[in-house]
Amino acid sequence: MTAVHQFVPALLPRDATGDHTRALRDAFRSAGWESDIYVEAAHDELQDEAIYFEEYPALARPGDVLLYQLGTSSPVAEFLLGRDEPLVLDYHNVTPESFYEGWEEHTVAKVALAREQVAALAPKAVLGIADSAFNARELDDLGCPATTVVPILVDLEDEDGVDERERTRLATDHGEATVLLFVGRLSPNKAHERLIEALFVYRRLYDPAARLHLVGPTVTPTYAEAVFAFAEELGLTDAVRHGEGLTDGQLAAWYEDADVFVCLSEHEGFCIPLLESMRAGTPIVAFDAGAVGETLADAGILLPSARPALVAAAVARIRGDAALASWLTEAGRRRLADFAVETTTRRFVEVLAEVAGAERVVA
Amino acid sequence: MTPDPSAPAAADDVDSASEVADRIRYLDEVMADIDAEVRRRRASGDLPAGLERELDELFLEFSPVGLQGRARLRETLSLVDGSAYVDIAVPTASNKAVGSYVKRGIRKSLGWYMDFVVTQIVKFAWSVSRMFHVVVDHIEELEATVEAHRSPDLPAAVVPVAHTGATWWAPAAIEALAGVRDRVVVGDCGDGSLVEALGAADIDAYGVDPSDLILEAALDRGVDVRAESVLDHLDVVSGEALGGIVLTGSVQWLRPNERERLLELVSSRVMVDGVLVLHSASPESWAAAASPVVRDLAPGHPLHPETWAHLLRSRGFSVTATVQGGDDRRLAHVSAAATDAATLNAAIDAATLNAAIDAINERLLGPTEYLVVATRER
Repeated sequence: MTAVHQFVPALLPRDATGDHTRALRDAFRSAGWESDIYVEAAHDELQDEAIYFEEYPALARPGDVLLYQLGTSSPVAEFLLGRDEPLVLDYHNVTPESFYEGWEEHTVAKVALAREQVAALAPKAVLGIADSAFNARELDDLGCPATTVVPILVDLEDEDGVDERERTRLATDHGEATVLLFVGRLSPNKAHERLIEALFVYRRLYDPAARLHLVGPTVTPTYAEAVFAFAEELGLTDAVRHGEGLTDGQLAAWYEDADVFVCLSEHEGFCIPLLESMRAGTPIVAFDAGAVGETLADAGILLPSARPALVAAAVARIRGDAALASWLTEAGRRRLADFAVETTTRRFVEVLAEVAGAERVVA
Repeated sequence: MTPDPSAPAAADDVDSASEVADRIRYLDEVMADIDAEVRRRRASGDLPAGLERELDELFLEFSPVGLQGRARLRETLSLVDGSAYVDIAVPTASNKAVGSYVKRGIRKSLGWYMDFVVTQIVKFAWSVSRMFHVVVDHIEELEATVEAHRSPDLPAAVVPVAHTGATWWAPAAIEALAGVRDRVVVGDCGDGSLVEALGAADIDAYGVDPSDLILEAALDRGVDVRAESVLDHLDVVSGEALGGIVLTGSVQWLRPNERERLLELVSSRVMVDGVLVLHSASPESWAAAASPVVRDLAPGHPLHPETWAHLLRSRGFSVTATVQGGDDRRLAHVSAAATDAATLNAAIDAATLNAAIDAINERLLGPTEYLVVATRER
């Protein structure tokens, strides 16, 4: 019997990698395979779904294929390096340490370790699955013998609906003012300071009442402090709202409330918020960095630079042209169909079946 | 085996493929409108020259990465000092009525134990901090020594660092930079003439120059120029943020380590497919014009275009053109008729003389300046 077991550093609820891992497990089981999730740590809610990774040797069976969800450093990587089972990497990208230099030295060390682990695992793997061609190129460069692109599983149909009370609250708060939105953790590679600069220029040139809504956890406190101090210095404290720990319904309300989703990240391995924005029908303006252009395709305005004047002009163009805004909304919905969870799930099963089948033949 | 989610619709669906092409064309038109709007705002003065730079600099003031060199070292050291103290008096406030009493009880009963452990931790932390102070002091002493041994400043008249007015190479630079995807920075922009000429050719350019004085004329005309050296400027520009870079002036006199730093910055700040235009005096013209003192004491000297081409190729650029220009001081060949006994020694014929002239031309004379155009490939 085919068995594909997944390894993940942390299994968390309401987390992209956690949701992806659990959805894959369900898909593998639906295909009639054995599939369990081995972890270094699991959230209390998911303890019943996870097995501590060091227990795997006692449970291992001949013919097992191991799939590692790789996006951070973990002892799980060292463990897998010592295993003989065929290993498949599902690579979600590791932010280069240079983004954290000067901000958080311990994070520099952590991501440097993660990248060392990617470099060690890539040549050992029989296959690297990457969310994007951008990520696949990294694996190729590190000597992964074969790579393929299958986007991360994002069940965009699985929505509880928009929190209407939150939407009303937001709308009352800002009135007719333009609202720019970005969703992503407060971390230097996301370039929130560029968003603040764009807001400043936009208010100066087009709409003095414009707002910037930021949603995401503060993972680099020194960076977050600098971003908000910068906003204060520019007199934008009341124009910048930060949402953290939102429910799915509240997040959907923030998306739908925004006039334009603006992503100026300097490094993204895939960028799920682009898909969420497409689902909400919010037009997108994004800086062409990392995998952003690849994920967005022709479903938004892709900028060659994150200069505030250019970003502001792009937002103004959308605000002043209802036909363009509708066109972008429609383009987003069309693009979203390329990431349908059924298609992506099927693709994952096909790819893993190929690996498991080939391994059986070899065995 | 690799599906591409961003690929256009199926190849056998001709209508969909043409729709995709239409969509891309439409987005290109929108992008062109956006670019035009930015240029219009800049030209109208709505977007003051230097505003974007001021915003970048302002953010750096709030970020530890904005602190460079010694300032950053001292700042980091003060953070170490600040965290070297461990407070044994843990807070005892509590939301629950009895919580505070319990916490105070624990603090009191464990105080002797914590005090013993914390004293040792603090002693260790201060020792580490002290060691860092010694290291930093030593580094500063070394820096001071290096400063003391820097080459003496050379007369600006002999080693010009900025250009002014029209130049022979401006049209070639404009042609090379036409169509770049993002902003172009002109290093040692001087009076801003080239920045203006690039702007007139619809190229979004700005300039940097370390001399406040020489920039005054450009600022008076509203040209987007900034008072800083090209090295300092590129140091704070984001990776792959520039569509093109023009290097002239001081790049000719850089010390070897500064030149390495410049090449490193250029190859990381200009985007793939971005264009580098490098203008320099030829080594021969510099040697001919400079006094012996300047030649001996100059920290660096102009390189041959072949050398720049070699260095740029090693940094991922492909050199697309090398153009010679400036004054041509080459000696003309003598004619056979001139080689009679009345003019020259009878033992020297015209061919021998012309071969000598060619050698002199090649080694000492020839065009005084050149331009290297390169495109970043990786």
